[in-house]
Amino acid sequence: MSDLGKLLRKEFRLAATPLTYFFMAGSLFVLIPNYPALVGAFFVCLGVFYSFQTARESNDVLFTALLPVPKRDFVRAKFAFVTVIQLLAFAAFALLSILRTALLSHAEPYASGALMRPNLALLGYVLLVYALFDAVFLLGFFRTAYAIGKPFLLYAILTFVFVAVTEVLHHLPGLGFLNAPGEGLPGRAAVFGVSLLVYLAVLFLTWKKSEERFEKIDL
Amino acid sequence: MSEREIILEVSGLTKEYPGFLLDGVGFTVARGEIVGFIGRNGAGKSTTLKSILHLVHPASGTIRYFGMDFAENERAVRQRIGFAAGAVDFYKRRRIREIRDVAKIFYDDWEEEAWTRCIREFELDENKRPAELSEGMKVKLNLALALSHRAELLILDEPTSGLDPFSRAELLDLFRELAGRGAAILYSTHVISDLEKCADRILYIRRGRIADEADRETFKEKHRKDENESLEDMMVRMEKEGKERE
Repeated sequence: MSDLGKLLRKEFRLAATPLTYFFMAGSLFVLIPNYPALVGAFFVCLGVFYSFQTARESNDVLFTALLPVPKRDFVRAKFAFVTVIQLLAFAAFALLSILRTALLSHAEPYASGALMRPNLALLGYVLLVYALFDAVFLLGFFRTAYAIGKPFLLYAILTFVFVAVTEVLHHLPGLGFLNAPGEGLPGRAAVFGVSLLVYLAVLFLTWKKSEERFEKIDL
Repeated sequence: MSEREIILEVSGLTKEYPGFLLDGVGFTVARGEIVGFIGRNGAGKSTTLKSILHLVHPASGTIRYFGMDFAENERAVRQRIGFAAGAVDFYKRRRIREIRDVAKIFYDDWEEEAWTRCIREFELDENKRPAELSEGMKVKLNLALALSHRAELLILDEPTSGLDPFSRAELLDLFRELAGRGAAILYSTHVISDLEKCADRILYIRRGRIADEADRETFKEKHRKDENESLEDMMVRMEKEGKERE
């Protein structure tokens, strides 16, 4: 097993809290009528935050720093853990979105809801909420490998601003396609594509920057 | 007298914090030797130990374990050393056997037999969680983890702090036993009586500088003012004299 594999095993078996898995249920928010589904993506990240909190209380950083593995792999394992949780929650969100669109799009109260419907643009937004978590919380955490409150608070504020913006955007002239049932698919596909690219780019850049920061930290 | 086989060699270690300077620290630890690292609070003991484990980044200095440069052989060295701190408990809500299951995958030389022997000797219950252990048992758990991967050098930061006199005596006996089996132990303490009971060599740090390093009897002979002066009295006097000189 590679060092990264060993560390990932340590993440799931020792550092993670069951709350992380519980909050993955945030993906179910897409089924709640007249509720901003994007908040569910925030809850998924809140669950990840709880694992970081548990890990901090467990002296996880010190335990890992003493293991015979390169220091940079600690950062990689943390990012891998977060990404696995995010992508599993994303897959659940996508499946539930398909389910709602295929079976319940004409049913009330889904049909007359004023908020974002599950579509490709919304899936893109979910990835952007995750990207925000990586860029603000993870990068902030690796500044000290200890402080988690401030980076998470900042992430929470930015996410709620972002959710509000996404719910306003599709009411603006010319942007109705973002939430139009049926028409405007290419536009929504473009939003998803760009969001996916942003998510991947942010993930890569924050991971590299976090590695750099973690190397310099005095534990 | 047989020649000391040096397994840890530190020289010129420097680290600066606001209001504190670890200034050119150097010392050696030999195989099978127990080195007591003494100094008052804030003298630089923990910074030194953290520096030699690369938990903090020294500004300068060299650290060699088993004849190898630490910076270039960190992975190989970490396979052969163990660290425990008195006040630290890892994953306090996990069962001990879960911690063992994960810890063992990282070490090439993990010995399940050694683990079983340690938990039997230390009377550790694998179904318990670190949060349920006394301070002394927590130190023993960390020692069990270190000894099960056949650590040849144990670096212990204040392992006896917070222990009652009985647990302390038990732990010091254990150090003797481990040294008898060939392990070297470098432990920091501010409890001077620990040194009297359990230290082959004394490393004395004062205001970020190594004030003296010698085997225990030489150290005592060198610094003793009169026959009846205990090591504790001697250290307190030396600290006081040092302060007066400044």
